[in-house]
Amino acid sequence: MFSKKKWLAASAAAASAALVLSGCAGTESDSSSSAGGSSGSSTESNQKVLQFWAFGDMGLAELIAEYEAANPDIKIEMKVSDFDPHHQGLLTSLDSATPDIAAIEVGYSSLFKAVSQKFVDLAEYGAADLEGDYLDWRWAHGVDLDGRIFGIPTDVGPMAVCYRSDLFAEAGLPTDREEVSALWPTWEDFIEVGQQYVDATGNSFLSSTGYVWNAVKNQSDEKFYSADGSSLVYDTNPQIKRAWDLSVAATPIAANIGDWTADWNAGMNNGAYAVLTCPAWMMGYIQGQAPDLAGAWDVAAMPEGGGNWGGSQLVVPARAKYPAEAAEFIKWVLSADKQLELFKAKGQFPSTVAAYSDAELLAFESEYFNNAPVGAIYAEGVNTLLPLYEGPKERVIDTEFGSALGRVANGEQTPQEAYDSAIEAIKRDVG
Amino acid sequence: MARKSRLKSAEERTGYLYTSPFFLVFAVFGLFPIVYTVWVAFHQWDPFGDPTWIGMDNFVALADDPRLWIAIRNTFSIWILSTVPQLVMALFLAWMLNHSRIRGNTFWRSLILVPNITSVVAVAVVFGQLFGRDYGMVNWLLTVLGFSPIDWVNGTLSSHILISFMVIWRWTGYNALIYLAAMQAVPEDLYEAAEVDGASKFRQFISITIPQIRPTLIFTVIVSTIGGLQIFAEPLILDGQGYGGGVSRQFSTVTLFMFEQGFSRFEYGYASAIAIVLATIVVAFSILNFLVVRRIQKA
Repeated sequence: MFSKKKWLAASAAAASAALVLSGCAGTESDSSSSAGGSSGSSTESNQKVLQFWAFGDMGLAELIAEYEAANPDIKIEMKVSDFDPHHQGLLTSLDSATPDIAAIEVGYSSLFKAVSQKFVDLAEYGAADLEGDYLDWRWAHGVDLDGRIFGIPTDVGPMAVCYRSDLFAEAGLPTDREEVSALWPTWEDFIEVGQQYVDATGNSFLSSTGYVWNAVKNQSDEKFYSADGSSLVYDTNPQIKRAWDLSVAATPIAANIGDWTADWNAGMNNGAYAVLTCPAWMMGYIQGQAPDLAGAWDVAAMPEGGGNWGGSQLVVPARAKYPAEAAEFIKWVLSADKQLELFKAKGQFPSTVAAYSDAELLAFESEYFNNAPVGAIYAEGVNTLLPLYEGPKERVIDTEFGSALGRVANGEQTPQEAYDSAIEAIKRDVG
Repeated sequence: MARKSRLKSAEERTGYLYTSPFFLVFAVFGLFPIVYTVWVAFHQWDPFGDPTWIGMDNFVALADDPRLWIAIRNTFSIWILSTVPQLVMALFLAWMLNHSRIRGNTFWRSLILVPNITSVVAVAVVFGQLFGRDYGMVNWLLTVLGFSPIDWVNGTLSSHILISFMVIWRWTGYNALIYLAAMQAVPEDLYEAAEVDGASKFRQFISITIPQIRPTLIFTVIVSTIGGLQIFAEPLILDGQGYGGGVSRQFSTVTLFMFEQGFSRFEYGYASAIAIVLATIVVAFSILNFLVVRRIQKA
């Protein structure tokens, strides 16, 4: 009996110790970060800490370090979240604890235009003079209906095809980027080459059909909304139907691996797939994930011309603690010089017009991508792509189509069932 | 008399003062959100404009929304798949720990609580990898044993089983500990008497242990029900791409659906209506539990 009581006490102690332990873990990390912050401000009382929220890796670490070294009173703290949670969290925090700087991707730009009053008009900090420096359609992503400048463009996402030349060789396909580009003037050709690859190697050509979808839907001047943004055309736009049909046709050559997953990252190294439709910023991601494959990845032209995928605006929320300092940093880091530096280091392609005639950029070859002349390739991509309107419900619509392609890929539904259910779901949510 | 009542009221005031922290915290973090959620549910409410009163429209739309019914189906499926094996296993685990004579008893007893203090996010990430389609260890084992690999996340039942595994792994030890505490309070002489009468260990378990710890059994069933019907983090992280609970919404739960509508689609009013539906389901189940419990206790 006594031993039982002892055990009860022990188990109660163990349980409460567990609670305390887990509780401690939380408070400890909280207090250490706040202690770090407060000690920083107490030793250098005039230091201003700018909070910067972003999604994914913007590759800005070196530039931020450079800026902090030149401006000792400024410290920039990055908080990186996943793509959708970042934007959704930003939107819901605009009335409470906002950062000083945040990134808004073009797909979300219209959604945030509807609440542009909650951001600083950067014209107050001299941004109006910068308009001519940037691609006009990229600049427009950061200007609301009243002409307030709430964001300045980061990079632009012209597309090419990144491919594994070593795997192409094994499959008996050409490896030279000119010859590879010549393999696929149209998407139908591209899928046929993919089929040859699959037949020859037994491996998948694409990680998922989403890579056809993302490329083709962006190769037009209209996507889900009409060009002027006045109406929804996701169910009538022939380009969207074509993107859908081609994605469905690509199902047999795709591995059905989700983007940004562990399997996807692994596949970049282990040959689970051989190509990615590749906006310029993807180059940095591939280099980061597959550092040992330098020279194996190469860059060829995309079927049927260019298209834009991605790019962001940097914004300053109205409730930012240091709006002036944040605006200064944004203007500095997004200047033509710094965008060029970032392109060379990480692959994000400049949205500053002067860059496209810059001899240094046009001559730039990426050592990692088998010395591909990526400067010239992506400059050509920017010149051939068609700017398109990204509406407020862009992500909702795209998510439904993406899920529908997933259902086709795993055999849950026939292509027609999946398409119909996607349209039905979008109609219910968007109209 | 007057003096005495004043004294008493002073005492009462002190009493209220001592308990006030709970009521204040509850009012701010419990009562207010509940009332406000009901208020929001009757509006078309998003971050882009002023809310408009639309009466029951959100609830009418919800009744007609197939996503809600899918979410309710998934929630109950995952709840049953996780709660039943979990409690049965916890019961046997507790019984074994209670009667075993192995060395290091206290060590084993503490060890079974460890899964419970692991972060749910870490659990979901690790299980997601174990059950990965291409490189997962579970599928590798299945292949070695001669079965064909399973696309765990993309199937409806298989994804429910996968989520149930996470829940079972995390909560079995916790429930076992509660059962163990209850079992330790069962008088030893009942077992001794049964032993003398020649009852087997199994018979002792069925006829002594179970009836003796009945109140604890009921408690764990109710707590697991309330927790299980609100399952959220596991399906959220398993999806990894969004809040739809898989491409076919095959593991979208009611709480995940509510989060999707509120914080991904920004339909605050609609999300509040879903929250009220969920609360109603949980209350209905708690009442049902209560009635069943009363019947069992009378029996």
